[in-house]
This record gives sequence, C-alpha cells and structure tokens, in this order.
Amino acid sequence: MAYIKVEDLTYYYPEQELPALDKINLSLNKGEFVLILGSSGCGKSSLVRALAGLLPDFYGGKMGGHLYLDGQEIRTIKRASLVNKVGMVFQDPESQLIMSNVERELVLGMENLGLPVSLMQRRVMEVGDALALNSYLQENVNDLSGGLKQKVVLASVLAMQPDILILDEPTSQLDPVTAEEILTIVRKLNEDQGMTVILIEQRLERCFHLADRVVVMEKGQIVQNTTNLEEIVNWAANEDSPFLPPIPRLFANSNFGQIPLTVKAGRQLLESRSNQKRSYGESQSEDWRVTPRENPREADGEVTEHRELLLQVEKVSYTYENGSEALKDNYLDLFTGDFLVLMGENAAGKTTLLKNIRGLLHPSEGSVRFGGEEIKKKPLEEWAGEIGYLSQNPGDYLFLPTVSAEIEFTLENLHLTNSERVVSLMEKLGLTKYARSYARDLSSGERQRVALATVLAGDPKLIILDEPTRGLDYALKAQLGEILQNLQQEGRAILLVTHDVEFAAEYATDIALMSQGKIIARGSKEEILSDLTFFSPQVAKLFRNFTDEPVVTLAKGKSVLERFR
Amino acid sequence: MNRYLDTYQQREREEMRYRLHPATVLLYLTAVVFLTLFFKHPFFLLALFFAVGLVILSFELYKEWMAYLKIGFSFMLVIMLINVFFVRAGSTVLYLGPVLPVFGRIRITFEAVCFGTVMGLKLLIIISAFCLFMYVVHPDGILRLLGGRSDKTALALGLSLRLFPLMRADFLRITEVQRCRGVNLYERSSWKGVSKTIPVIRVLLLSSLERAFQLAESLQARGYGLGKRSSFSSTEWRLRDRFIEIGLLLGVFLSLFLAWRGQADFSYYPRLQSLESSALVGAVFIGLVFVFPAFLNWGWKKWPTLRSRI
Repeated sequence: MAYIKVEDLTYYYPEQELPALDKINLSLNKGEFVLILGSSGCGKSSLVRALAGLLPDFYGGKMGGHLYLDGQEIRTIKRASLVNKVGMVFQDPESQLIMSNVERELVLGMENLGLPVSLMQRRVMEVGDALALNSYLQENVNDLSGGLKQKVVLASVLAMQPDILILDEPTSQLDPVTAEEILTIVRKLNEDQGMTVILIEQRLERCFHLADRVVVMEKGQIVQNTTNLEEIVNWAANEDSPFLPPIPRLFANSNFGQIPLTVKAGRQLLESRSNQKRSYGESQSEDWRVTPRENPREADGEVTEHRELLLQVEKVSYTYENGSEALKDNYLDLFTGDFLVLMGENAAGKTTLLKNIRGLLHPSEGSVRFGGEEIKKKPLEEWAGEIGYLSQNPGDYLFLPTVSAEIEFTLENLHLTNSERVVSLMEKLGLTKYARSYARDLSSGERQRVALATVLAGDPKLIILDEPTRGLDYALKAQLGEILQNLQQEGRAILLVTHDVEFAAEYATDIALMSQGKIIARGSKEEILSDLTFFSPQVAKLFRNFTDEPVVTLAKGKSVLERFR
Repeated sequence: MNRYLDTYQQREREEMRYRLHPATVLLYLTAVVFLTLFFKHPFFLLALFFAVGLVILSFELYKEWMAYLKIGFSFMLVIMLINVFFVRAGSTVLYLGPVLPVFGRIRITFEAVCFGTVMGLKLLIIISAFCLFMYVVHPDGILRLLGGRSDKTALALGLSLRLFPLMRADFLRITEVQRCRGVNLYERSSWKGVSKTIPVIRVLLLSSLERAFQLAESLQARGYGLGKRSSFSSTEWRLRDRFIEIGLLLGVFLSLFLAWRGQADFSYYPRLQSLESSALVGAVFIGLVFVFPAFLNWGWKKWPTLRSRI
C-alpha cells in the first residue's frame, strides 16, 4: 500500500479562480526520495503544503479530493500527530527561524509537542552532532551564516523525528559546498533512517541523481511521475523541457545516443569512447585532444576594443562596528562591457564588497572610484543614474500600483521624464503585457525583471546584482542570463554575486573568487572554473583531463563532445 | 545584524534581568501600569516613577531609558500645554491673557499646571515600563509563555514580538535599496524628506506582512499552539520570581487598601488638596515594594551565594 496517496486533489487559494492544484493523483512509497520539479507557480509548493497539512488549514481556500497518509485521510489526523509525522523546511531560513538562540530554535518544535526534557536533551545532542551544530548551540541565530541558518532550520525539524521530510528549495541561498553538505545529510537520512524525503529543487545538478522518483508539474497538474530516471531524461529531451540537469542535457542535445545522468557516468562513457578511438588507432592530439588557447578573450579579439575603465577598487578593507573584519585589501577593476561574477563561500564578504562599491558602506581603508571619482565624495542617491544596484530581494523595490509606475518612479527620482524609456524598458525585459499590473502580484521571475527595470531606468553604466538567480527556475534563469548578456553587449559593465555555478559559467565572461574577505583569484571563467572542484560547472567536471581545452559552457561542451562520437 | 537581540545574547547568562521568568516581568509591568492609571495622588505616582527608574538603572539601561524619556518629555510637554490652555478650572490664576478667537480668554491656573504635570508623569511611568518591557522581556520568552495557548491572539502577539526586531533590519535594508534607486530621504525641505520615506514605509509594511505570514507558517508547521507544551531550558519559577511576585501582591493589596481609605486619591480642582504625611508614608511603602527588583539585582551582583540561592 502506498504510504502517501493523493486522489483527485484540487485546491483553490482564497479568492482565486484558477486551481493551484488540479486533480492531482499520486502514490509515494515509504522511504522514497522524491524530487518534485516544475516552473515557478506550477503548484509544487502547494502540493507539499497540502501534504504537510498547511492547505487548507493555514491558507484557507477550497480543497477537493483525498489525501491519505499511511492509510488515514490527512484531514482526520490530529494536528499534533501530523506535525510529528511530517517535517517541513522552507526556502528562506530568515523567515522560519523563530527563536534568537540556536538551542531554543532546535527545541521549539519538541516543546510544542510537549516532549519531556530528557528526550529533548538527547535529540538536541544527536541532531547537533549529526549536523555539526553542537558548538553553536548558545549562539545567536542572527550571527550565523546562511548555510548554518539553514542547518539550524533542518536540525529543528529533524529533532522532531518526522517520518516524512519535505524540503522546499532548501539550498537556493547556499554556496555549492554548503548545499552539497545539506543534501548529503538529507541523503544519509533517507538511506540510513529510511526517512521519506520530498524535495523541491531548481538546481537539478545537485540532486537529480539522488532521486528514486521524479515528479514534474505544470499548471497545477502532474505531467510526469516516474521512478525511472532515464525515462524522465528522455521525456525532457524530447519535449525540450528545461528540467534536465546539465550533463543529461548536454548528451541529449548532442544526440549522443546514450544519456548519462551524472558526471561519473558521463566520464565513464567518455572513457570508453576514447579507449575505442585509441584502439582504432586514432591519434589523441590530432583528433579530440586540443591545445588550449592562452587567453580565450584575446582570441575573440575582445581586448583589442577600446574599453573605458569604470570602476577601480584599490586596497579596500572594511571592518564592521562590532570589530569583525569583513574585507581585507581588495583590488578590482571593471571596464565597460565586463560581465564579472563574484563567487565564494557564504559570509566571504561578497555583499559587503558590493555595498562598498555602491556607496552603501565606505571602506575603512582604501578607495572605490567610479569614472575616476571617489564614490564616497557624492551622496549615494546621486550615483543612481550611473550605478544600478539590484539587491537580493526584488520585493524591496516594489510598492506602486502598476509596473510602469515603478519605472516612472525611478525616473522621477533622477529628475528625468521619458515615457519612451518606460515603454522601451518594458519591451526589453518582456514586461509590456504587465504594464498595468501590480508588480507584487507577479511571479518571482517577473517581479525580479520589474525590479531590474527600475534599476535600469536610470541608464546606469555599471549594474550590480546580488544573488539574482535565487528561487528562479531554469527557464527564468536563462531569460535573466540573456537580458544581462544584452546589457553587456550594449557596453554596460555587470558585477554579479551568485552561488549558482552553472549560471556563472554559462553567462559571465570573468569570475572572481572571494574567501575570508579577500578576492583571491580573478580571471576568465574558463581559467577559474575549469580547475575547481565545488565551484565548477558539471560540464567542466565532465571533460576534466579528457581535453586540455577549458570547457565550462554547454555550447562548448557540445562541440567538444562531437569529437567523442 | 540585530543589535536588539544581540544585547540579550551577550549578557544573557550573567544578568538577573535575563534570568527572570517572563511572566514575573509581565506581572510587574502590568501592576505598574495598572497602579499608574489607578493613582491620582502625586506622591504615589512619584514613588512609582522613582521605583521603576531605579529598577531600570540597576539593570544598567541608563542610555536606553534616556532615549525613551526624551520622547516621553516631549509628549509630557504637549499634555501640559493642552491642559494649561484648554482647562479653565482652578482658582489660583497665574496668568490672565488676551481674548483669542475660538479659545476665548487665556487663563492659566496653578491647578491646571499641576494636573498637566501629573498626567505627564503618568505618561513617563508608562513609557519607562515599556522601556523595561523592550529590554528585559525576551521575545523568545513571550513566545514560549504563549505557546501553550492555541488561540490566534497568542500567535499574533508572539509573532509581533518576533517581527519587531526583524522590521528594524528590514527598514534599514529597504532604505538602502530605495536610496540606491535615487530616493533622497535627506532632502533639505523636511516635508519633502518625510514624503520620500513613504515608499520605504509602504515596502516595509508589505514586506512585514509577507514575513509575518512566513513566520506564522513555520510556527504552524512546527506545532505551535497545540496546547500544553513542555519547557526545555531553565526559565522555571525560581525564588527570585517568587520574591518579586509576593512583593507585587503586597503592593497591589496595600494600594487597594490605601484607596479604600481614600489616601490614594487627590483632588486638583478647584484648589489643590493639601498633601498629608500619611500619604507620604504609604507612597514610600509602595515605592519600596516596586523598587525591590533593584535591591534583588544589587544582591545578585554583589553576593554569588545569593545568586545561586535565588
């Protein structure tokens, strides 16, 4: 018998005419690792919230159909019992940490269940140990890095020992190393404890291979549900669906015949092909092994163009009031047409550097110059026409009744009146049809484009973006990447912070790596990303040691893969 | 990120104010506010003000209190002015001014000045109690205290306490974002400056609603408000809590007794009632009862043995 059974489940949010869930039928077995995929607004979060008993209890709205957990209809299960069985970790740790101290946060759920102190002590010790949190138990949660905060949230749910663990994009704000760590813990719980895991994730490269079952949703319906990963890969390849991790996508797009799911399987396939080629007597250097170019950008003729120096960061250090040294001796130059991605572990100082560049903070030592003028010499409002800044949360920009009013508001602030610019910006960012819509009602990707439009309204030469891919699905990320590349081609400089290695590899030209407050490396994406282990796209891992040529983009990967056919 | 919560974190383990049961602190503050509204006699109100002030000072919250008092004094001034100019009662005329349209003749009496001052004093006591609430009652403690109740009021109160420090951080972040968008919040014209904060406030309200919703969802998913809950850490009722609560009980009963005897009352109009020494004695008693946490805190700091016993 299925452990979780969903029958004709339909759900409407309050005052909505279209259903968020439309006749869902699904059976999940105990101990399965289920991956739920789908674009923003497809109903995945609604489905898991229904499984956690939050729909309709917490949200209201209308629900039809049946939802069974271990043979019992969820609506008839007492809330205490349901909370004990189903644990849920949401996307943003900031918005689910309730208590101010780590230990109190870990015990909150157990206290709510009325568990005895001795049992709580044992569980705190156990989850603290498993997630390496014991040394932080008395820390203030606000002092923790994003990764640690997400671990605390996960630990607080695990301490309640649920049978089913639901995770709604738990790694979207984490650096690759921390994300890997969290998913490893989840996999161990699934394998060693038999815990049923239901995971929603946009970065498929991190988790696709872990899944026992993949469910794909579209417009509130399930369009694919299978335990055969090859089946889902073939379906996605045929449908040109964005829900394919980079490696299967590369092989599927190259019509390679076989489609490996992981880097390991891909490498084994390449190994066997290269052995076959050797056995046919083909020379490696003549055929598929290629001599690297010294500097890909030079070869493309980019450095020969006249490029204006926009930004100069010289010896910048920054120490916060509490004495923590966030930046140490940083140097950075940006020219027109640069697209630089700044990467590094959580709390490496990336956002602090961006704030120093934008003038939100002033360096404790060193200087930041834009167009030769020191940033701190002018009030930060006066830089709005030259330096655009898109922060992590697009919602912080939006408050007016229409999208066009949002863009006009920036123009008014800069004492500009140009209705043509409003129209052209909306066209450029695909927002024309939402011109009269309330921006906060739009989907996450659309909201972000509106926020970007408000930033671009001032026609800035430098655009700074802090974690813009957070919570975006593959299709939305591709849209954003293309928009940014177009802006780059217009001659603007782009400085972007992200943990999304695949995005950085695909769209940036340069990468800078930060660690412990310092930029430790900067170079072309090929130079930086092809050599690393965690901060490296899957395609680079695939071809490492098979070719001397750096391969970091899918397009490049496709051309190199041709040589293995 | 959040200095409000950091202050708790740093000193939580050493200081008595962080070790009091939240219910004790809430009882203390409720009693102070109740008696402030109840008393009319200036002696009793002064006794309460000094008692609460000494408790605040003993908890080393001088700077924080001054910030609250600054606001309090400006409100006190407004109350006094309104009372002085609009209340014509009182027989001791200090100033007889010209006839103004709408207001009539300006007539300032000594009794109206005294009554306005005492009303202002009441406000200062309530503001001081609020200061104590903000720096002594930990939001975690309130959430845990209310967690046993399943009604929506408890959830809303718990959430607002959690949300308040987060809103401060949100306000700073949204201000930064809007300034980056060219919104000049520091325009020379103060009216323009105020009008420019409207976007910040609107975004803050919208974001806070969304965040409150997410926090509430997280609480719901972890079983908050299921009913009787257990308590992990040592915020149990200790001897120190009992001492303070017994004192409070004594203080409230004494106040009711004095009120029954008519000593807590005071008439301001048409002429001030004479100040009697028996009221002064009662007020000193009340003051001693409400200043007791400061004495206890002094002992807590001075004698480690006492600290371990209570």
